[in-house]
Amino acid sequence: MQLHRARGQFEEAGARLVLIGQATPRHAAHFRRRQGIQVPVLADEERISYKAAGAKVAGVLDLWHPKVVAKGAVTGLREKTVQGRTIGDANQLGGAMVIRPDGKVTWSHMSTDAGDNASPEDILAAVRAAVA
Amino acid sequence: MPAGRHPSPPATADGLADIVLPDHECHDVRLGDLWSDRPAALVWLRHYG
Repeated sequence: MQLHRARGQFEEAGARLVLIGQATPRHAAHFRRRQGIQVPVLADEERISYKAAGAKVAGVLDLWHPKVVAKGAVTGLREKTVQGRTIGDANQLGGAMVIRPDGKVTWSHMSTDAGDNASPEDILAAVRAAVA
Repeated sequence: MPAGRHPSPPATADGLADIVLPDHECHDVRLGDLWSDRPAALVWLRHYG
């Protein structure tokens, strides 16, 4: 996972990086072990935070449009990863958000389709801007 | 805020702050505590892939 590799840069920038997944703590722990990551992973089986964050629930074209599938294939090849078994609602998309101590959301990128993910570089740039 | 067909991120994290979720070790974490002392980057995963 690219984000995990950038974890040290988030720490250096003075920010906390946390992942949230739509499954149980046991699934989250398994995910961390399998990926070999140190970043905290929260478990949101009911997707309460997804709703509060305004994350999109995908339609068919958001998941299976040829451009979306191609983008996912390219990402998989670049990161040498294969998508594992989907746990939770397969239509639920994710996203990213940077929040300052005063509670202001200074940057967000919520996915519009299954291939639309913010890069670690984009998130890190948003973190640095929030800290500045 | 209901999940919708279009992403609609909030301008403030007020609606997120009091949500409590378990972490990978089953410890409850209040989201607002994540950014109480420094900025936080939260990433919602589509799947554990």
